[in-house]
Order: sequence, then structure tokens, then C-alpha cells
Amino acid sequence: MVVVVKRNVAGLVIVFVGAAMMQLATSGTYLRYVKPGMRWMLLAAGIVLIALAVTDVVVRSRQTHDHGLPRAAWLLLIPVFALLVVDPPALGADAAQRQSPVAAKPAKPVDPQGNAYWGDESHGPKPMTVRDYAVWAVWEKETMQGRSFQLTGFVTPAKNGVWYVTRIGLTCCVADGTAFMVEARGQAAPPKNQWITVTGKWAEPTKRVDGDVAALTVETVKPVAAPVNPYE
Amino acid sequence: MTTAEQETAESSESAESPGSSIAFTATLVLLVGAALFGRRLFAGWFTDDGIRTWATMFVGVTVQALPFLVLGVLLSAALTAFVPASFFAKALPKHPALAVPVASASGVVLPGCECASVPVSAALMNRGVTPAAAIAFLLSAPAINPVVLASTAVAFPGQPKVVVARAVTSLAVSMILGWLWLLTGKGGSWLKMPKNRHAHDDGKFDVFRSAMLHDFLHAGGFLVVGAAAAATLNVVVPRAWLDHVAGNLLLSVVILGLLAVLLAICSEADAFVAASLTQFSLTARLAFMVVGPIVDVKLIALQTGTFGPKFAVRFAPATFVVALLASLLIGWWLL
Repeated sequence: MVVVVKRNVAGLVIVFVGAAMMQLATSGTYLRYVKPGMRWMLLAAGIVLIALAVTDVVVRSRQTHDHGLPRAAWLLLIPVFALLVVDPPALGADAAQRQSPVAAKPAKPVDPQGNAYWGDESHGPKPMTVRDYAVWAVWEKETMQGRSFQLTGFVTPAKNGVWYVTRIGLTCCVADGTAFMVEARGQAAPPKNQWITVTGKWAEPTKRVDGDVAALTVETVKPVAAPVNPYE
Repeated sequence: MTTAEQETAESSESAESPGSSIAFTATLVLLVGAALFGRRLFAGWFTDDGIRTWATMFVGVTVQALPFLVLGVLLSAALTAFVPASFFAKALPKHPALAVPVASASGVVLPGCECASVPVSAALMNRGVTPAAAIAFLLSAPAINPVVLASTAVAFPGQPKVVVARAVTSLAVSMILGWLWLLTGKGGSWLKMPKNRHAHDDGKFDVFRSAMLHDFLHAGGFLVVGAAAAATLNVVVPRAWLDHVAGNLLLSVVILGLLAVLLAICSEADAFVAASLTQFSLTARLAFMVVGPIVDVKLIALQTGTFGPKFAVRFAPATFVVALLASLLIGWWLL
């Protein structure tokens, strides 16, 4: 067996790539890079790759001719090394700082009104996704005015003590990650990338050259653990 | 190419057998070593935020694309091994100029990202389908399949004309490029025809297995190059400069086309990104969605690996220009 296996670099590379994909899918680490829906695709692809490598090893032990590895195939090991050595984190404040905090106008006006949605407001601040707040606070001012909200996101510091409660939105993978940012007023900035839950009141959006940025007058800041799926 | 030449070509591009036991041991030691001690050894090395963001993007693009590549090589190996060449001869019209639109329309049946369509169209050429038709399929499959059109409809609620415009433009671009290929008439010398491996005495299963192994190893390596390029551009190109060009129609079409090439967003997601670029006209955003699935840095790398660099340097710019012109025309007509 050892003699056979020794010759099969291709099988080795494929096994590692397949194992890395299955490890990502089973450990939940894949949520740092892609949408939750990719899990079964990753598992299936991992199984197919490992099966391919195993049959290759078995079949080649019965054959005399041997093909090595195309040179390009070595490159497949780079992402595996990146995972093993760098352990890339989920996108955070650094990625958000590269984008504008302005929320794009929604394609169709989303309508958060209606008593059913707002429920009984005596229970305290309304929990809302940062994504929705960042858009509605700018484009649905009338509804948002005077209400209290609760947001969970990470801290993105900017110039002059300004900081944002931030969440990254994904549609497919991190390549299309869009930062949704809400300017937090009235409290000192916690450390960069710290996950927090804040409560506060709607505030008049900040005007910028490229548009308006949602804002919140923060009353309480509570550090929390990062959620399982860091994206919205 | 004779069989002997093929063998030589193969061994020259591969890590030959005598060295491979050393290569194997070294690779194994490195990988296991990295798995066990990598994070501890390099703990202080990759702390820069920019590098970590880059690594996340790089791994993210790779992880997103690999399952689709596996699907693609699975299908292409099945086409190579189990579908007789005579099937395609019967299914497609004899005349290449007529085969092109049929191939374009049949792109509807391959649901998935653009990474899957490259190995599949290589397998089609391998099975004797005229390259022009295979190219038409390569361009239409990632753009007009039901998954992509459905996600476009979701991203642009209440604007079915965007879905129609996208389907029509992508279909038109794929046919035009197929016909252009026929017109130039000398495409054969640019194209590194995918090799028909193990076509001889081996059984069907063996053909399937070795075709899949070869395609995955080859395309996978180039996919990694493309993912690295996309990650770099994603981190380096500031999105703020987009706002300065949004006003000018012609310029904005070109810029969003270029953005689609650089960002390499998979075709199932690009509609959502296009929808968020609200400062741009619908025509410019149409260009973004038409270019994305057919030319981007990841695809150029994949095509270089599969069809050869001579093909890629001609094909990518031609596709880009035709896609922009078609988007302008159909955007002006429909949007």
C-alpha cells in the first residue's frame, strides 16, 4: 500500500482539498466565507473529491503507466495553506472601512409600517438588523422618528472619534460583501471589531458628499460574543 | 497530434514519476505540519488587517467557486465518458452557423455559476461539437439559466424588464461571439483543443475517472490564480470612485463593465450587487450583469488553463466589447 500511495501526489492534493471543504462545512467555519445555503454543496463536493482520490489510488495500483500532477495543480494547495496558517477571519472593520457608510436607496420602498410589525412598544427598544436600520433610518425617516431600537454588530472606528455599528451583508460570498453602517452618537467608541449590542433612539442622518448615513443616539452599549453567522 | 506527441506533452507538463515519491513525501509533511503547527508557528506573521481581509476574500472566492467547479468537471467527465459523439452530431444542426443559436439556447439547462460551464464546453469540443457552438454554450449557460434569472427577478422587484433585458442581451452576445468565431475562420490555431485522454483501450469508468481528475487538477489551479486576482482587486480598488462616473452613460457602462471583470462575483449573486449600485442607470447595471458571467479575472484564468493563453487573450477582450455594445443597444431599446 505504501509503495502505491507514494506515487500519487495528485491523490494527496485532492484529498486535502476535499478534506478542507468538509472540515469547513462540518465545523461551521464556512459561515465566515459563504452563505449558509452553501453547506450541502461544500459537503457534496468534498465527498466527491475524496472519492475521486481514493478510487484513483486504488485503480492506479493496478496500472503500470503513471501521470504526475499538472503544474497548475500545486496552486490548489495555497488556499488550503491559507486556511491552515492564516485562519482568515470573517470580514470585519477593515473591510467596512474600505467602503462608504452611505446606504443605497432600496430598489423598492420597503414598508416597515403597520402595528403588527411594531408590536407593543412598551416592551422597550425594537430589535432590528443593522441592514434594515441603515436603510430605513435614511429612507423611512417618518416611521423611524422618535422610536427606540436595538442593534447588534461590530465596531468600525472612523476619523475624529466617529464610530459605526456595522454588519456586512452577503448575497453569495465575501467577494460581494456590502457594509451596512450606523453612526453611533453619544458614547465613546469600544475597541475596533468588538461585537456589541446597542440600544438608542433614531437620530437625524449625517449628511455626506455621497449621501446620508444612518445614525443612532446610543443609550446603552453591551459587549457580546460574535454571532454564529456574522453576516446579514 | 499523435498519441506519442500527446504522451510527451503530458509528461512535460507533469511532475514525472521518479521525483514524485519525493514530491509526495514533502507535500505530505508540509501539509500535516501546517495542519498541526501552522497557526502557532505563524501566529505573529499575518496580523495586518489588510492581509487578513485579503486572505478572507481569497479563501471566500475559492470556497464559493470550488463546489461549482466540481459540478462542472463531474458533468464534463460524464459527457466525455458516457455520451457518444454521435449524440451531439444528431442533436445539433449540421451547419455550424445554425448550431450556434441552438447551443446558445441550450445554455438554459446548466444551472450554476460560470465556473461549471468552462469544463463542460471543453468536453463538448472534445466530443466533436463545433467550437463556435461550444463557445456559444460557454457564454450563455452561466447567464440565462433559471437560477440566475430568478435571482435577477428577486433583486429587481417589480421590474421584469430587467430580467428580459438580461436574458436577451446575454443570449445575443453568446450567438454573436459564436458567429464571430466562424467568421474569423482561423480560430483553430488559437485554440488549444482539450486533449481527448484515454480514448483508447480503457473502460468507460476509467475514462470518466481520469477525465475528471485531470480537469479538476488543471482548472482548479487556474481558479486559485483567478481568486487571488479577484481578492487583490477587491481589497485595492476603492469603491468610492464609482460615484464620480455615474452621471455619464457611456463612461458608466464601461466602468461597471470593468468592475464586473475585476470583482469576479458569481453569476447567481451579481444581480444583487447590481441592484445596490443605485447611483447608476439601468443600462450601466445591465452591462455589469451581462459582462460578469462571461468575462472576469477568475474566468480568464480558467479559460487560459483550459483553452490556452492564445485563445484567452483574444476571447476576453472580444467578449467584453461585444457585451458592452449589446448592453448599450438593448438597454436603450428595453430599459
